[in-house]
Amino acid sequence: MQIMKSEPKYRHFIENLRAAGGEIVEIAAHTGSIAALFPDAIDFTQETVRDQFSASTSLEDLDKLECVIFEGSFGVAENGAVWLEDKDLPHRILPFITQHLVLRLDSANIVSTMEEAYDRIRLSETGFGVFISGPSKTADIEQSLVYGAHGAVRETVVCYNPSNLSSKG
Amino acid sequence: MTAHAKCAKKFLADEPRADWHDETLWLVRTKRDRAAAAVDEWEALREQASQIKEEALANLNGLLKQFEAEATKNGAKVLWATDAEEFNRIILDIIRQHKAMNVVKSKSMLTEECGMNAFLLKAGIEVVDTDLGERIIQFRHEMPSHIVLPAIHLKKEEIGATFHEKLGTAAGASDPVYLTHAARLHLRRKFLAAEVAMTGVNFAVAETGSVVVCTNEGNADMGVQAAPVQIHCMGIEKIIPRQRDLGVFTRLLARNATGQAVTTYTSHYMRPKPQGAMYIVIVDNGRFKHLTQRSYASSLKCIRCGGCLNTCPVFRRSGGHSYGYVIPGPIGSILAPERSRAGGIDLPFASSLCGSCSNVCPVKIDIHEQLYRWRQDLTLQRRTSFVKRVAMCVAGFVLSSNARYNFAGALGRFAVKYLPRFLLYLPLNVWGKARELPVPPRESFKQWYKRSHNQ
Ligand code: SF4
Repeated sequence: MQIMKSEPKYRHFIENLRAAGGEIVEIAAHTGSIAALFPDAIDFTQETVRDQFSASTSLEDLDKLECVIFEGSFGVAENGAVWLEDKDLPHRILPFITQHLVLRLDSANIVSTMEEAYDRIRLSETGFGVFISGPSKTADIEQSLVYGAHGAVRETVVCYNPSNLSSKG
Repeated sequence: MTAHAKCAKKFLADEPRADWHDETLWLVRTKRDRAAAAVDEWEALREQASQIKEEALANLNGLLKQFEAEATKNGAKVLWATDAEEFNRIILDIIRQHKAMNVVKSKSMLTEECGMNAFLLKAGIEVVDTDLGERIIQFRHEMPSHIVLPAIHLKKEEIGATFHEKLGTAAGASDPVYLTHAARLHLRRKFLAAEVAMTGVNFAVAETGSVVVCTNEGNADMGVQAAPVQIHCMGIEKIIPRQRDLGVFTRLLARNATGQAVTTYTSHYMRPKPQGAMYIVIVDNGRFKHLTQRSYASSLKCIRCGGCLNTCPVFRRSGGHSYGYVIPGPIGSILAPERSRAGGIDLPFASSLCGSCSNVCPVKIDIHEQLYRWRQDLTLQRRTSFVKRVAMCVAGFVLSSNARYNFAGALGRFAVKYLPRFLLYLPLNVWGKARELPVPPRESFKQWYKRSHNQ
């Protein structure tokens, strides 16, 4: 953990994610499902779970989801955003319709800026992709910040130690 | 008094509200300053953004064709509209073709510009605006007063009263968390029932045929991902050449708008969802003609961040509704004389020409210089008011002669000193409205200079 925290990119990512209203959980090397941390979560990083949901699952059912887990492709240090795209999502509405969005992220997968982020993405090869930074928010009533306008009310990013760093740390 | 000045007077009559408006937007401006200062290469980014937009506008035809080809390859249907009428008709046709009754829409200044909601309502289709601020003003039958903060002119008590009436929230309740939550539940039902979802577009990438929409609330995605049919509406100027350019614009947009490092959601739509349909409607509505006006074409670089509104001392103290054009504030004031059907010709005069707008603009539009140019052009084209033209003629007559200028100065100093108040503050003297005239000096600068330098 020591080495991971001293990485400036990683530190910026955490700071900026917090500023955007996101929560951080840091865990040691990632082993299997993190669902134990979120008892009511549906963990879409597990293939068996993915197979139970598809594009044809009814919206009414999806609307009942309390907490879902996805694997983020990478994070952006300068703004705390995490990239998700079609291949991670059995249904595109999932990260928005859930009350609590949990994103698992390999903390070695963080780029500094949006320019670097776009160098990593291949828009032409995906149908839909989104940067998410923090929970849904609005300040449309007298500029008071309120979380949970339409999308997830909470966002948690679970950063796990990449093996190459944690083995040294 | 011109239209803007008249409306501003109404706005200023409620002094505490006007002060709140002024201070709140200034706070947004200071947040923007902090966010900008945190990026070392901020100025370089502005320069890059400006150049990319210029490049895009210079190659607009080619880029639009490339965009159409790529988007079509991706499975989207691309449609073109020359004007507001055609645009509205196209949207209605799509809605009818899909036999849709429930339509949701996330923020799109373009559909405001084209009066789409009213048009569709006449055709029996009620569009639900899903951005919280837009939903509030839709309930109240008002126009947005700001391009990023549409309900900034309202107090929470007014919103509470509106929600009480429309959504059955508790009478007298005005807590923003409570009200936002009520809107969330109400709009969830709308999202889940929607057959068609419309969005505006922040950026359209020619290289990949994708459209990018930035929101904080997530309303664009709740709509698009829930409804089988998605429609993205864009003006021709939203085109940028390459995917890579998004890196520059997404770094600037939210920082300059609200001081956030990025919007919560930056969504990239490339292909329709399984069993879904995706339309992209590209609208001209006067933009191509505007591009031919060489000294005003660069106003089409605007990325609608709202930065120039928040910083403008006139906007902060007159409110968005005073402008009477769909895009208020400095940028609206240079768009309106070219594009507003109602004219908007007094708007270039609703400015102190302090230049703050140009200084904050992330794409470096020379806003205050265009305001100044419009004043001259409108006067030469005799589109300004008769009183203003006569006043300008008199001023020209006085200022072009040394003797007349000296005499006028002396006359002025005499008048302010000796004329009775009621004469001095006649309605004819617009400079005497809501201000005290300064105490006149004993002598003019010229007289003082001669006296003190001849010794
Ligand atoms: S003119 Fe510039 S500052 Fe004003 S809204 Fe457009 S991009 Fe922002």
